[in-house]
Amino acid sequence: MKQQEITVSLGGGYPLDRAGLANLVESFPGLMVIPFDAKMLPRVLLWIVDNNQPIDLPPVQENTVVMLLLEDFDFQSYPENTSGLFSKEESASALAAAIRQVARGEQYISPSLALAYLKSQQPQSRERPNSIMEALSDREKEVFELLAQGLGNKAIAARLYLSVRTVEGHLASIYAKLGVHSRTEAMLVAIESR
Amino acid sequence: MSDSSRTRLALLGTMSDLHNKPVSYDLRNLQKIVTDLAPDLLCAEITKEAWEGGNLTLASLELRGALAPAVAMTDIVLVPVVPSTEQFADFAPLGGWRQRIIQTFDRLLRWGQRRADNAETINGVWFGLFCHSICELTEMFWSKQDRAAWESQNQVLVENIVRAVWNNKGSRVLVAVQCQRLHRLIPLLQKQFSLFDLVGYQNL
Repeated sequence: MKQQEITVSLGGGYPLDRAGLANLVESFPGLMVIPFDAKMLPRVLLWIVDNNQPIDLPPVQENTVVMLLLEDFDFQSYPENTSGLFSKEESASALAAAIRQVARGEQYISPSLALAYLKSQQPQSRERPNSIMEALSDREKEVFELLAQGLGNKAIAARLYLSVRTVEGHLASIYAKLGVHSRTEAMLVAIESR
Repeated sequence: MSDSSRTRLALLGTMSDLHNKPVSYDLRNLQKIVTDLAPDLLCAEITKEAWEGGNLTLASLELRGALAPAVAMTDIVLVPVVPSTEQFADFAPLGGWRQRIIQTFDRLLRWGQRRADNAETINGVWFGLFCHSICELTEMFWSKQDRAAWESQNQVLVENIVRAVWNNKGSRVLVAVQCQRLHRLIPLLQKQFSLFDLVGYQNL
């Protein structure tokens, strides 16, 4: 059975940036670039952020998820409907994995951006009991530890020889046990519990 | 009606050491089959130590040229399943009349491969019968110890596949191994029917 292609539209940045990015995204199996004004709505809108410009996202449909390509991170000013924050310092193959992740309805944040965020939040961070680890199964502890190292789902899966879907299942269980709602929150708890 | 929560497992035969010979097998075709199938897990012939160490020099050509690139470009997770680097050809006797007979079988196999230049044909019924018959005959001319070592290697390989399946219930698992293993692995995997459905790779 052939897998359905993920449609991706590009915006922001300069035309040359978008052209290069379009070629890169088209080279990944299972991803297809379509114009943003196409009749077919994209599953993922990849938006190149220029540091010196405000993020001027166009309105998007409910079924389209937005991922921003960033050089660095201004924690105060990204749009609410963003599902992914991807650092331009990351590798091309990581971009493919990130697009697939947000297309599945999950969130993605590059490890370097997540760590920058966590560092900025640490002085105000909440007290967390170290006993939270006891609530997790052995496998969940392994996943949690790798999450704390900033690894993405594919990297965690590859490290533990689990499928990406199995890792997603473990993460959902971990979030529920920790009472958190996002990867970033879980990473914060993981770092605090070390 | 099939149960979508059941793990599905398929075998995909590759030509392994014979890729190193001048045959026309198309590795891009193999890579495309794997990326199109997009299994959750790809069990492949490399040792855990080599895979985790990023050392592909001892891995087969199809792993280096097709399977590893497919894994790098997609969400597929590779599970290394072989306990050692020895392949089918490594079990053949080094001299004597047994070696000469095996060389004849090898030439016959190569003749067949020149006519089967892609993964679909290799995994088809007719090539399967031809190839498996020759492999069975070849094994009969190995020493008793080598046959036992080959059998033991396949047994460990199956145990590693079963472990991966056990940890990933409900997944789609593709096992890409040298085609000489297929006639050994299929009966061993069929015994594990309670854990997964063994399906054709096209139906994964």
